[in-house]
Amino acid sequence: MKKPAVPLILDDFEPQEREVASNLGMPGLRMQFFRGPVWGKTPAQLQKQVIEGNNPVTGKPVMRELVELLTRPLAAEERKTGELRRDAGPETYTGTPDELHRLFLEKRYTDFLPVVLPTEERVAEMLKFTSRRPDEELGRMNPGSEAGETWTYTVKTAAINAVMAGAEPEYFPVILALGSTGMTAVNVSDNGFMAGAVINGTIRDEIGLNYEEGAVGPFAQANTTIGRAWSLLSINGGNCGKVGTTYMGTIGNPMNLIGIIMAENEERSPFKPLSVRRGFKAGENVVTLFMGWGILSAKNWAATVWGPNMDYPGIIKEIYGTQDGHLFGTCAVLSPPIANFVRDAGYDTVEKFTEWVTGQAPGAKRAPAGPEINLGVRRSGGAFTVIVTGGSNNNYFSMGGMVPAQSVRIDDWR
Amino acid sequence: MRLRTTGIVLLCLGLFCAVSPTGRPTLAAGPAAAETLTVYNPMGAPPPVTLRPQAPRLDTLKGKTLYFVNTGFIGGDRLMAVMSDWFKANYPDTRIVYKESGAGVSALSPALWDEITREGDAAIVGLGH
Repeated sequence: MKKPAVPLILDDFEPQEREVASNLGMPGLRMQFFRGPVWGKTPAQLQKQVIEGNNPVTGKPVMRELVELLTRPLAAEERKTGELRRDAGPETYTGTPDELHRLFLEKRYTDFLPVVLPTEERVAEMLKFTSRRPDEELGRMNPGSEAGETWTYTVKTAAINAVMAGAEPEYFPVILALGSTGMTAVNVSDNGFMAGAVINGTIRDEIGLNYEEGAVGPFAQANTTIGRAWSLLSINGGNCGKVGTTYMGTIGNPMNLIGIIMAENEERSPFKPLSVRRGFKAGENVVTLFMGWGILSAKNWAATVWGPNMDYPGIIKEIYGTQDGHLFGTCAVLSPPIANFVRDAGYDTVEKFTEWVTGQAPGAKRAPAGPEINLGVRRSGGAFTVIVTGGSNNNYFSMGGMVPAQSVRIDDWR
Repeated sequence: MRLRTTGIVLLCLGLFCAVSPTGRPTLAAGPAAAETLTVYNPMGAPPPVTLRPQAPRLDTLKGKTLYFVNTGFIGGDRLMAVMSDWFKANYPDTRIVYKESGAGVSALSPALWDEITREGDAAIVGLGH
């Protein structure tokens, strides 16, 4: 509009808003910060807190400073034009292992756990497990909001982060498939989102993914380090997960560390694999990405259920009715015994079970998600996804809010 | 047999241990600990940024029209009301216009954008949360 404007911003958001302004080409954008929150305050409280208060960043009175921001002539820096080219630092670092570990921590290249240092030899070994060129652009990623920048990263960037995560080179095609989507594993949202993936096909055994007891936990190198590599690639390749700028989760989510990397227990499942239900051939190596809150909701099991009360389909339907379907719908991760209970109750396909649980035929148009801000509005259940994995040592399952996104052929990245 | 094995193990450990100034045994540091490595930077590439100049400032607020634009975050209306009152009290010659963004929390409606360009002299936009 070419008229002077000043945004009003709570001081808690100062680092993020300065970064956003820089990303948009105005590194010195004049903003007025003040102490929050505003939500729920009376006019009298706002008068004292803001009108008579000081900017916590500069220490100056808010209103006098606001006038100054509108009337003080621009400095040369504030009138600059042209293109600002940036890089993310030198290509390599040299030092002792202790120095390098300390440097990686200080530069926030890690998830605060020790990493494997990405030497030339280790990265070269990782790259042997793909035919793709190291300098090929693998993906573009932002932290999950248009407010964040979109960074680019190469196959080699992914290899570096895979080494750091402790991944074996034979896992690399799966990591590339995840990275090729550009979906972050560490979303910026103040909601505290997580990411997950389900892997189908023969690669499950080829690389030693665990789909028996402990399938969704950190109990196999492949599951754990593939998830960690995706998180590190998001932190480094996509510049995500930087608290205060590209991460704003109010209470956070522990699943951002390694995500939930699941392989379906296709051998013991009575249903077609997830990938086949999404249009891929049986046996094809496919990874399906998920996003959501995670699983393990409070009502995910019923230990006192016994005998004639073992109506697991009914219990799952009841839990579905308690889930918040607004953003991510409901994901049910069933152990093989529970999946067989469902099959034996007459639901011999996931589609039939889904129709019964949700009360909607497959492909039926769902109710609109609602306005951008609809505090208090809750859409029960939402989309329903079934995954079968884990052991057969007991009748357990987990449910939560996770919705499938893209599915990617892993073999395209060998 | 077990005692003899334990003794041999302790003897072997002793060969690799030293006693620190604090009296606690520490593993002897070998030459590998000081060895330097070269490792890759794991970061991706940020996009280039096109710098944009800010709009020229006003020389005075006297006689000017100042828009308050509420982007709809909860409480923004109350905040702007008390801010407007302050301007009315301290800058009585400044005309205050209150509007809602009309395009949610992250944008201004094109109609409002045009209106401010045409009829306003400056704008205060909130609330960034």
